Amino acid sequence: MSDTKDTTPDRELIESVWAEARDLVKRLEGSTVQRFAVAAGDYKIEIERGAPAMAAGGAGISVPTPPPPPLPGGPVATGAGPGMSIAPGARMASGVFTIGDLEQQDKRIPVLAPLVGTFYSSAQPGAKPFVEVGTSVELGQTVCIVEAMKMMNEVATGEGGKVAEILVENGDWVEFEQVLMYLEPADD
Amino acid sequence: MFEKVLIANRGEIALRVARACRELGIKSVAIYSTADAESAVVRFADEAVHVGPHHPGKSYLHIPNVIGAAQKTGADAIHPGYGFLSEDPFFAEICSDNGITFIGPRPEVMEKVGDKAIARDLMQKAGLPLLPGTIEPVQTAEEAQEIADGIGYPVIIKAVAGGGGRGMNVVYKAEDLARLYATTRATAQAVFKDSAVYIERYLEAPRHTEVQLVCDSQGNGVYFFERDCSVQRRHQKLIEEAPSIHLSDAQRKDIGERAVAGALAVGYTGAGTMEFLLDHEGNLSFMEMNARIQVEHPVSEMVTSVDLIQEQIRVAAGEPLSVSQEDVVLRGHAIECRVNAEDPDRDFAPAAGRLDVYVPPGGPWTRVDSHCYPGWNIAPFYDSLIAKLIVWAPDRLQAIERMDRALSEFQIEGRGVKTTIPFHRRVLADEQFRSGDVTTDFVEHFLAGEPAGAAKP
Repeated sequence: MSDTKDTTPDRELIESVWAEARDLVKRLEGSTVQRFAVAAGDYKIEIERGAPAMAAGGAGISVPTPPPPPLPGGPVATGAGPGMSIAPGARMASGVFTIGDLEQQDKRIPVLAPLVGTFYSSAQPGAKPFVEVGTSVELGQTVCIVEAMKMMNEVATGEGGKVAEILVENGDWVEFEQVLMYLEPADD
Repeated sequence: MFEKVLIANRGEIALRVARACRELGIKSVAIYSTADAESAVVRFADEAVHVGPHHPGKSYLHIPNVIGAAQKTGADAIHPGYGFLSEDPFFAEICSDNGITFIGPRPEVMEKVGDKAIARDLMQKAGLPLLPGTIEPVQTAEEAQEIADGIGYPVIIKAVAGGGGRGMNVVYKAEDLARLYATTRATAQAVFKDSAVYIERYLEAPRHTEVQLVCDSQGNGVYFFERDCSVQRRHQKLIEEAPSIHLSDAQRKDIGERAVAGALAVGYTGAGTMEFLLDHEGNLSFMEMNARIQVEHPVSEMVTSVDLIQEQIRVAAGEPLSVSQEDVVLRGHAIECRVNAEDPDRDFAPAAGRLDVYVPPGGPWTRVDSHCYPGWNIAPFYDSLIAKLIVWAPDRLQAIERMDRALSEFQIEGRGVKTTIPFHRRVLADEQFRSGDVTTDFVEHFLAGEPAGAAKP
């Protein structure tokens, strides 16, 4: 039986490459560098800045198409890996992802559902919500809970800021990477 | 009958199940990973839920997210397709704990038939023929030697928990037995965390013959005859056909009846397959049972005119089978070719990518089960299946001609994309294949006999 192979990517490795790439994009702001790549192990992320497709000033992570053949014994990451934050509306088109939360004109930071489940705005029914519109939050602060199969999963922010908008109601079902709320960046 | 079925799978089988639901008047829910956001089933199904990133462990195999998706959409049943969660008794149990019907056998039955030692024991008791060998795991090298000497060489030592061609060794000479017994146990412990092994006679070049069946919860079981899946490479099936031309009508009826009796004896419900090896004297020996719908189910559908996925859904909903054994009549011959994104000239290496051109064949008695469309990206982190091409004809030779015609029409192009179509066409033209004398070592010899194809860099 063929069925489906489990090509387990190294999550931590991908995330470290991803973090490095994001950092570089920020540091290269204003420079003339157009393309660079970050690689570690079997994983590689290629960044092309100011590509015509991203005329609004966005940076694109370009994934080579077709993807290189898998290295012996090692899968190749060519898309959104586990834990990678892809902005709403970002989709695979010719293997190019738009990183909406980097340089979008709308600089609001989306907080995404990490899994499928029920959204709860507070720790207990009737308790004070973790955050409301206008609440200032720090990096890593819990802003809500997504419950799946009676497991309470706290959702923490990836960046600090102020809650600008909450898009879901207490008790709503949410799917993976659904935008739960937007934060205004703290620097603004 | 169910109101809404969630399909916990992707690719062609997800679309196949969604189509069956639509015809039955059932709403369907697709789940998808980030990489599959634009997939055909997401467009086709009544609803779709994003359940995780491309990595299967975080999406299609992530039980809380799959169950969550069913709860979010109010689905009353989950169809697992093949692969992924389809043979996971734990998942079946969680479905039931959450009030969702798992479309497949009950968890405890699935667990029993999934254990090769238990399945062999149960099926032998139910009257299925087995190869000479042990049922109980062999405990010591001395015992192994005694058993092997009794059976006669060659013998095969297999891990009880093994599968997919791993955890087994063939022993040709008595003096190699102790060493290979130890090796197999060590491999079994390392790979499957279970060192138990059993020994049986090894057949050098058998034919892979499998019986399709469906059982309902009223205690009815129907067999849908057999498939021959001998054209395989490293245990990956490439061409399947129905029926096997090597069984007589009497033998076909006998093995079908025994397979159903075996399934009913263990309380099996749903669609399942009993795998047998057929030797050159015409003896069938039970190998294992697959407790799911299989990739190659369409060839059985084509020769019996029964939609097996619809039957599977019907019996899971507690309804009786819509057909009785007398209704199921074998007509003609069907062949399926698995068109994979693999390069046959480079040892079937994956050759995935974006499909710039995708034009499937049509014409009489030609069926294409596929999720592909122009622009679809065959992602490297899932299986390489592009399409299952299935044809029917009144007899095998006409089916071969029809298949070759259909393959010649099939246009698939993309940067870096290669397919198994040229390989299939070469096999269809091969005299030995056309004669029907195909055993499980056919592909290996076929490829070795073609230096022009195999020697290319």
